[in-house]
Amino acid sequence: MTEHTVKSYGEELAHLTAEVTRMGGIAESQVADCIAAIARRDGPLAQAVVAGDERLDTLQSEIERKAFRLIALRQPMAVDLRHAVAALKISMSLERCGDMAKNIGKRALILTEADPMSALTRSIERMGKLVQGRLKDVLDAYTTSDLQRAIGVWSRDEEVDEHYNAIFRELLTYMMGDPRTINACTHLLFVAKNLERIGDHATNIAEIIHFELTGEELTSQRPKLDVLSH
Amino acid sequence: MPLANLPLDGPQRSRNSARWSLWLGPAALLGLAVTGQAEPAPAVLAALAVAGLGLFLNREREAEASGGAAMVVAAPDATSEPSAPFAAILDRLPDPLMVIAAEEADDLTGRRFLFANAAARELFKIQHQGALLVTAVRHPRVLEAVDEALFGAIEGVVEFETGGAQGRSWLAYARPLKETAGRSKLALLALRDETDARRSERTRADFLANASHELRTPLASLSGFIETLRGHAKDDPGARDKFLAIMLAQAERMSRLIDDLMSLSRIELNEHIAPAGRVDLSMAAIDVIDALAPQARDKGVTFDPVLPPRGGAVVDGDRDQIIQVVQNLVDNAIKYTPQDGVVRVEVFPGLAAEAAAAARDPAASRMSLLTPDHDPTERYAVLRVTDRGPGLAREHLPRLTERFYRVEGQKSGDRSGTGLGLAIVKHIMNRHRGGLTVESVQGSGATFGVYLPMAKAEGGVSPKVAATEA
Repeated sequence: MTEHTVKSYGEELAHLTAEVTRMGGIAESQVADCIAAIARRDGPLAQAVVAGDERLDTLQSEIERKAFRLIALRQPMAVDLRHAVAALKISMSLERCGDMAKNIGKRALILTEADPMSALTRSIERMGKLVQGRLKDVLDAYTTSDLQRAIGVWSRDEEVDEHYNAIFRELLTYMMGDPRTINACTHLLFVAKNLERIGDHATNIAEIIHFELTGEELTSQRPKLDVLSH
Repeated sequence: MPLANLPLDGPQRSRNSARWSLWLGPAALLGLAVTGQAEPAPAVLAALAVAGLGLFLNREREAEASGGAAMVVAAPDATSEPSAPFAAILDRLPDPLMVIAAEEADDLTGRRFLFANAAARELFKIQHQGALLVTAVRHPRVLEAVDEALFGAIEGVVEFETGGAQGRSWLAYARPLKETAGRSKLALLALRDETDARRSERTRADFLANASHELRTPLASLSGFIETLRGHAKDDPGARDKFLAIMLAQAERMSRLIDDLMSLSRIELNEHIAPAGRVDLSMAAIDVIDALAPQARDKGVTFDPVLPPRGGAVVDGDRDQIIQVVQNLVDNAIKYTPQDGVVRVEVFPGLAAEAAAAARDPAASRMSLLTPDHDPTERYAVLRVTDRGPGLAREHLPRLTERFYRVEGQKSGDRSGTGLGLAIVKHIMNRHRGGLTVESVQGSGATFGVYLPMAKAEGGVSPKVAATEA
């Protein structure tokens, strides 16, 4: 960055938050687009998602560099340090979300060549919308420093798990019923798994926000569904 | 010039130099009136904004000269001064309208709101003055369009969606503004709500797909029986009566299906419009219980209502729709409760969202089918309907509100439903910013719960709300 203006410490911190938010916006739209690509069997959109991941990677390394720089030069304390570290960690989570979206985009490309399976893609779309909503909520919580909202996202993790389990069963039923669908169903299974992991990242970001704002970790027992045990 | 971090006491003195801009306002409004609402014409908005901005900038210059400060993002105080109708006009435009200022292309923190009207503040929850653009609008396409307007002087239109339970579609117009404020470049960002258009497109497609698919079965059976009646069953009065009865049942099923599909379409179209009116949940429950009493009596099912007194659970809502919700839930419960069973209908007012959605039986499988946007201050009234039927296996729970989803191996009995009841409940609850939960222990029944925001104290204060908020 061209540093011809001397920035204040506060501005530098605000800048970091703004960068993370912008990155969040890109991650959000990548996730939305990859779900739309699956639902609408939209090849060009899927390609755009795959190509768009690079921007997230660049932004992430930029944020990382700036956060390190800020920590090294300004030696922030207490809440300022937590801001810087939160920006660093959240950007890493968002970058992972972008990777999942890219992976879903790749699978969407393959799925556009298979026969349409609208019942299944509708389930995926529903789960996608849910995950997308969680990501939006947690990013809103980050930009507005809204602790309650972050806790809200954190405590509603099980919904995504339930959807994942339901889709898992549904796909199994399909594959057993008609082995010709195994190829496409396996891709959809990974799509669902990736969505579930994006949901986990949203939870993770909620935890980071909690620590950023309070300095304490969220430790109490979350309602957690024992995956695949029933 | 730090445009954004200025405190809020703008000097209200001479605004002569802004006269010209005051004339633009009525002219632009006239333009709006002439073109009608069919084409809200971003150009007119731009004219309004430029003119309004003239006024803002003027104030600001003045403010700087007098060592004071100007008001930036906050609502223009149109009350005191008759010469400031302009700010009020901009502020009250129904479409979100923002002016964004930035100095350098690579400085993200430099892009701030110079102005945001009431609709924009409401939509993006812009809370403080000089908020960063990126904290309110994150969508990369919109940010790019704004950047192009700011630094490339390129006009752009992009489509984007704001998520959340009642997601909306927008067209965002980014327009460069010739005015500058200090070293900052300015751009206008005007949004237009496209939700209705998008929705009616989708609803029509869904309706056609659903109707054609679901009506095929009863239709096939009808034409089959007609064939038979014209053929070898022509002279068999016994068979004729039997077939006609089946045909009548099928025709009724088709008409129920169409009714439900139509009502679902209607609800979906209005889903993003908050309902007006108030409904007493207890009264609604009593009405439904009365209405369904004959049906319950036929099956030997009795009701066990646990309701607060009149006025104890008043919620914001559309009465007909709330009645429909309660009716669908109670109707289902009657259907699945065995002979001589009991259907329990309970209403609890004044709960926080977590308490409203909480499970009652820790051993039950439980699922939130719809969760409202999180708001810790909101208080909800809950209505729960419990049946003593066969219950539901866990894997079915997330899919219950899908259209036409049927739990396998379930006998839906003679009065078969359309498979749309819970979908309708869910969409109505979403419109009401409420929630929907289900919990079930297999073999011993299921509980469906809906919760709605309580009506805010205003006029007839509900004592329960006051008590819980105190």
